[in-house]
Amino acid sequence: MQKRRREPAGDEPCGWLFDIKEFAVHDGPGIRLTLFLKGCPLRCQWCHNPEGIDPHPQTMTGPAGTRVVGRRFTPGEVASIINVQADILRANEGGVTFSGGEPLHQAAFVAAVIDRLDDVHVLLDTSGFASEADFRLVAGRCDLIYFDLKLMDDARHRAYTGAGNACILANLRVLAGMGVPYVVRVPLVPGVTDTPDNLRRIAAAVQGLPGLERVELLPYNRAAGGKYRAAGMTFAPDYDETRPCNTDTSPFIEQGIEVRVT
Amino acid sequence: MRKELREMRHRVRAKGHAVYRRASAPDVLSECEAEGLSWPRRVARLLRRQCEAETPVILPGERIVFTRTVPSVPPIYSEKEWDALFAAGKRHELGPISNICADWGQLLHQGLLERRAVAEATRAERADDPAAREFVECAMDGVDAVLELAARYEAEARRMGETETADVLARVPARPARTFREALQALRFVQAMVWLNGHYHVGLGRFDQYMGPFLEADLRTGRLTVAEAEDLLAEFFISLNKDTDLYPGVQQGDNGQSLMLGGVERDGADAVNELTYMALRVARDVNMIDPKINLRVTPQTPLDLLELAAQLTRQGLGFPQYSNDDVVIPALVDCGYDLEDARDYTVAACWEFIIPGKGMEIVNIGAVSFPAAVNEAILDGLAHSADLEGILERTRKNIRAQVDAQVDRCRNIILPPAPFYSVLMNDCLEQGRDLSTGLKYNNYGLHGACSANAADALAAVKHFVFDRGELEPSELVDALITNYDGREDMRRRLAREGPKVGNNDDRADAFLVKLFDFLADACEQCRDNGRGGILRPGTGSAMYYVWLARGSEGMAEPVVGATADGRKRGDFFSSSLAPSPGAPVRGPISVLQTYGKIDYRRICNGGPITMELSDTVFRDPESIRKVAMLVRTFAELGCQQFQLNALNADTLLDAREHPERHRDLIVRVWGWSGYFCELGPEYQEHIIARHMHGLT
Ligand code: SF4
Repeated sequence: MQKRRREPAGDEPCGWLFDIKEFAVHDGPGIRLTLFLKGCPLRCQWCHNPEGIDPHPQTMTGPAGTRVVGRRFTPGEVASIINVQADILRANEGGVTFSGGEPLHQAAFVAAVIDRLDDVHVLLDTSGFASEADFRLVAGRCDLIYFDLKLMDDARHRAYTGAGNACILANLRVLAGMGVPYVVRVPLVPGVTDTPDNLRRIAAAVQGLPGLERVELLPYNRAAGGKYRAAGMTFAPDYDETRPCNTDTSPFIEQGIEVRVT
Repeated sequence: MRKELREMRHRVRAKGHAVYRRASAPDVLSECEAEGLSWPRRVARLLRRQCEAETPVILPGERIVFTRTVPSVPPIYSEKEWDALFAAGKRHELGPISNICADWGQLLHQGLLERRAVAEATRAERADDPAAREFVECAMDGVDAVLELAARYEAEARRMGETETADVLARVPARPARTFREALQALRFVQAMVWLNGHYHVGLGRFDQYMGPFLEADLRTGRLTVAEAEDLLAEFFISLNKDTDLYPGVQQGDNGQSLMLGGVERDGADAVNELTYMALRVARDVNMIDPKINLRVTPQTPLDLLELAAQLTRQGLGFPQYSNDDVVIPALVDCGYDLEDARDYTVAACWEFIIPGKGMEIVNIGAVSFPAAVNEAILDGLAHSADLEGILERTRKNIRAQVDAQVDRCRNIILPPAPFYSVLMNDCLEQGRDLSTGLKYNNYGLHGACSANAADALAAVKHFVFDRGELEPSELVDALITNYDGREDMRRRLAREGPKVGNNDDRADAFLVKLFDFLADACEQCRDNGRGGILRPGTGSAMYYVWLARGSEGMAEPVVGATADGRKRGDFFSSSLAPSPGAPVRGPISVLQTYGKIDYRRICNGGPITMELSDTVFRDPESIRKVAMLVRTFAELGCQQFQLNALNADTLLDAREHPERHRDLIVRVWGWSGYFCELGPEYQEHIIARHMHGLT
């Protein structure tokens, strides 16, 4: 089996995963294996993986009892989990997806895993919230990037995710110069990200960017709050969850941008 | 689907036609006794009286006719005499021949009159053989009775002004079918006659193979458009649901009306045809529990066919069930089947591979309880300071003992005569022999039940007791005997942290493979099952995942208490090939990789990998395509049989609370699907539990 890129050298940076999911049909092309990396610097009000936020292991308590979420792996362990399925993933137009949490929060680990992979398509699913160095470290090793854009207004971004969007927008420009194809994904949160103004501004920001494959609008999932209680956290959205999302694609179509609602 | 068909479907589901059912079946017993009739003649008389008691009913708009009006099958012997018939041996299930498959193509190409002529010739030839003579006379009487009823249906159609229907019935089933409609009508009518004669689990075989040429001819000559053909097929499928409440089975829906699509022809050529696709489309749109669809695949099966099949899966019916020709056919050949016959395989009621027209096989004589074999070995082994080898040796012996006991019990199965069913098989009339005396293939099937829990238990002992020394043998024995009372910590560790089947983890999978090797070894020791056949080991569990855990009246196998995989007494076992309920499993690909390790060349009776996927997986065409790829992966990994379910746990929970809102909710139970609300509570519970542990 041909190795993907380079032989790893030196210390193994260990990493934390909170889930590994096979046959994840909504995480990219073909049959994929998705790794959920623990830890995210953002605090989106609508985050549906609250157990992915804290970088440390934690307990989840549900009807079936209590379990510890978060397990430490070496890059070699994760790579071998992927590699035993590499042939299947490749034969089915798929590969591996790094998701989270925010995978770039453990950028060195993710890069080390990728370096140990056989010939497998790699997709990074990221909020873009990372240092440029970390972003380049991982994105440069990927075949496709799912890049989230949530809110163009910096103050609102801060209000809803706990941080401003400057480094996200900066990384988007970095990505546009890297030659790695990418999809910009917009989670549609009713009254927050789905406003005509925000969608127009996103369209303007991505219009003409080299490497952009398309924009995907992801309608709000009412199950978002499902896991908070089990994780010992509170789900407190200040928007109206029951409102239907605005899925108007015209701001993108008008700019000649390929757009899908998924 | 057209409005008329939707209404027809609704009426059948609401059992509107039940008003035509008589209060009781005819009294056949008295005359049988008065005339002192032999067994074969009683079976023939039964069919005659059943046919005579039927009242032709043609419902408005119906083009594929037959509505059963005699709701039950009357006895032909008093209870005492019936028992006495089997005193020298063993009765299989209810007695009458069941769970085999006729050569329906032969019926369609010859018609019953030509079959009758064969019987007539044999009667003349074998004038000096009273048994042969009696058999063919009974067979002819059956044909006559069936044709008389068909003639009365024809007359009723004429009376109602349904000229086309009358013309069809004037032709079939007496003579060879010429059109798709005639072929469907002949099949519907004659299959219903087999049920009426007291047989059950009446399989439909390779439907697209024997029916496809009629469809193709009609489309070619312009006699039918595709839409018209689909309507006829839909009507035929709906008609198979009319009498399902009258059929015997463990639960309603367990009726064995299974059909097979796809595969290869007897010469090995690709057999997929226009009807393969049409049957999948129509089954998807009709969306009822019968017929149960099976699809033969290989790694080369085109994705568009698998995508269509995945759309059917999305309906939540639990079918199609897939079998992998690349695995099944060589295994059947190894078992002694001729290559051409092996290529012609279909499935019996649930999943066992049989050859239409050529098999008088009893594919499910029982089950080997892997959990009992393993649990006893662990308890006894640990109590006697055995090492892992010692426990495995005990397991091997226990499995062998169970197989031997099953073989002994079934050495002398007595099969009742089935003269009319024999008309539909190969060579019975030609040779003057009832099918109950044997057909070309006469094998038995014996399933290894609940394998995942048993393998996990062995893996746990190796891991926690022998490899890591974290558990003292006596501690584990105590915990098992006391059902983990006060040892919840230990139980959780065994249940959650041990190696588990379904993760492509050799630490557990090696034991899975070993259990089936033990079973195959034991079965191979039995060279003659008493009927000139062998014993085929299989991987199905049927209802044993419930029965072995909780017991069932009349079950020979013992109820198994707490097990070393962290399962408490009374908790369900795994069903067929599926990870233990609640075991941490990474996902579908690992499950398939695990089950690809079993040596299916030896384990050839069938029994599917069962897998639940959330219905959200099926929400868009791209995802449907991925489900199709998953099925292709199943075939590529060398697995044998695969049964996928689309389920929504919330819907199931709501259906349990509010059955009235979910009358049409269909779920897969084991080799069959049923209406969720009509299932017993323990089966509802298991299905919900299965989905809670679902993979995606
Ligand atoms: S970026 Fe993603 S993982 Fe992080 S908080 Fe937001 S939604 Fe959750």
